[in-house]
Amino acid sequence: MSVTPEKKAPGVRVSGLSVVYRTSAGELPAISGIDLDLVPGTITGVVGESGSGKSTLALSLLNAVQPPGRISAGSVEIDGLGDVVKLRGEELRKARGRHIGYVFQAAQNSLNPLKTVGKQLLDLGRSHDVADLRGLVREAKDLLGRMGMDGARVLDSHQHELSGGMRQRVGIMLALVLNAHLVVLDEPTTALDMITQATILRIVREVHEERGLTTLVITHDLGVVAEVADRLAVMYGGQVVEQGPTMEVLGAPRHPYTQGLLRAIPRLVGDIDEATALPGRPPTLGTIPERGCVFRDRCVLRMDVCETEKPPVVSLGASIALCHAVEAAADRDGRADIPRAGGLQEVVGAQGATGVHEVRGEQP
Amino acid sequence: MITGKNITKTFRQRGGVLAGREVRALRGVDFAIEKGGAASFIGESGCGKTTLGRIIAGLETHDSGEITIDGTPMSPLKPRRREPYFRRIQLIHQDPYSALNPTRTIHQTLNAPLALRARQTRRPQSWVDERAEELLALVGLDPGYVLPRYPHQLSGGMRQRVVIARALTVDPDMLVADEAVSMIDVSLRLGILGLLKDLRERLGVSVLFITHDVATARYIGDDGELYVIYRGQVVERGHVETIISDPVHPYTQSLLSAIPVLHGLERPGEQPVVPTEALDESHHDAGCLFARRCPFRTERCVAELPVLGHAEGTPQEHACFHPERRSVVATPIGRG
Repeated sequence: MSVTPEKKAPGVRVSGLSVVYRTSAGELPAISGIDLDLVPGTITGVVGESGSGKSTLALSLLNAVQPPGRISAGSVEIDGLGDVVKLRGEELRKARGRHIGYVFQAAQNSLNPLKTVGKQLLDLGRSHDVADLRGLVREAKDLLGRMGMDGARVLDSHQHELSGGMRQRVGIMLALVLNAHLVVLDEPTTALDMITQATILRIVREVHEERGLTTLVITHDLGVVAEVADRLAVMYGGQVVEQGPTMEVLGAPRHPYTQGLLRAIPRLVGDIDEATALPGRPPTLGTIPERGCVFRDRCVLRMDVCETEKPPVVSLGASIALCHAVEAAADRDGRADIPRAGGLQEVVGAQGATGVHEVRGEQP
Repeated sequence: MITGKNITKTFRQRGGVLAGREVRALRGVDFAIEKGGAASFIGESGCGKTTLGRIIAGLETHDSGEITIDGTPMSPLKPRRREPYFRRIQLIHQDPYSALNPTRTIHQTLNAPLALRARQTRRPQSWVDERAEELLALVGLDPGYVLPRYPHQLSGGMRQRVVIARALTVDPDMLVADEAVSMIDVSLRLGILGLLKDLRERLGVSVLFITHDVATARYIGDDGELYVIYRGQVVERGHVETIISDPVHPYTQSLLSAIPVLHGLERPGEQPVVPTEALDESHHDAGCLFARRCPFRTERCVAELPVLGHAEGTPQEHACFHPERRSVVATPIGRG
């Protein structure tokens, strides 16, 4: 049944994706015109504050945006599956679980409180027409054992008998047990303790590498993506304002929002006085500006053009930023479009995801 | 000044299948918070840090031990006589979304406690409105914008500032902030932490900060004391910067090792400590509470319970038989 290890990590190409929500004030965009590639075999982290549209983006990968929201434009091409936005009904249902695994937030109510984990596993198997249910249970026990738990005991447990960290591992097991090779984790460590969080992140990385997955991690916590992701996309006001290899985006952030966010994180080391909160507040559905740059109200580099013109896509090295100021600076320095030697992009292509973690320590 | 001596608290389950099960939330904790000072309790969920915060705020009883506020022991007093003491200690909750009444405007929310205060102190009604505006300005909000609005019309950061303003209506000596920034957007967290620090400096209010995120503890003041709590016992205690840069207890070290490293900006510590197994509170061990998970345990650790105390060569107090410095915290990468 689900044992088809030849299946390869799929690539995902999100292009021009827009989602609108119908409100009393008309249809408001939650995300607009997002372009994002998930490189096969990598972990991509999407980081954003509340209202940035990161969860809407995650749901769009499953074509699971619920009314009053709808995908109004764009496509989500997944290798071996086609454009998910065009899938309907039974086809779509089968794709969820088989091709795309989704791990819901840990301590939230993603498990049925009335049924044991094992019963929920069998439900999952039946709804996907798995013939060999014993094999499915065996696979689930293997996965749970792999994540450091007693599989038989966990399958016999109700959710209230499991701790937050254990529930999260059960969620990962349910997302992987049908052998999906694209996995979306939505806030995988929110509400978990630090030590449990570190354990879960280690498991995510190990399972990702062992099973050859393409993984998308959605979080508000920059630390989490820094720890786990090869590539990073920073979202603000429904747009991906900066994306690139994690090391590069964190080490040399271009977009003023990324820079401000990095300065605003309480950190364990470094000068306390250097840290400053970003002034202003993140936009909500109703306050995202229609024209110009979504970040301009809080931006220290704001120019007149930011009020009216949509920011250009500026690529510097292996990362991309949407910003007028970054473009102006690049023009001034004449550095735009000069590819940087030894960028992480090449490393990913040559060695797969593992390579990135190995080279991390040596980056300047 | 508020001090606690040997505070213990045990929760007992009543009825149902869990009847008789005991959870020892606090096993003899000592603390002291100076006027205008700062203290942080850190630890994993279930370690007792919130229970201790609630006991300090007078919202929870303790089984034994003594709490002393400004030199007056609380236990001989009748509950009614304790009230004025505990009123000076105000709690700020984790969730600013549920801490404010959604059917009241911010004006109404602030007005009620202030009007009571005006009656008690025989101040005129006009003082109430002035004071409300003053408090909102103090916490960094625009009174004209905020006062007529309902909680749902404000962002999380603004709501938390309103909650702090409300706590200040009774002129408290101490604020107990229980995970006060964990539900606030990342870009706004420092603003709230800075506000707490600012209130300490400007009003002389002491701040007790309860959190699972060690890094945030630095930002309410680098003169603060840090208490690392594990299963109801303080296992390490000292100056916040000392404990972060030079922790000696393996539990503190594993907490600090678990904090994500911002690769590209930071280099991970060289000797990370990872607990050998997950937390399981069902064990009743005779020895060190952390021994079962500790990678460095010896026979003595399993047999004997270490108590918090000073040792030669460490500026902080700790409860470990084998304290040792380990480099667990990430170091910033210099920009060349």
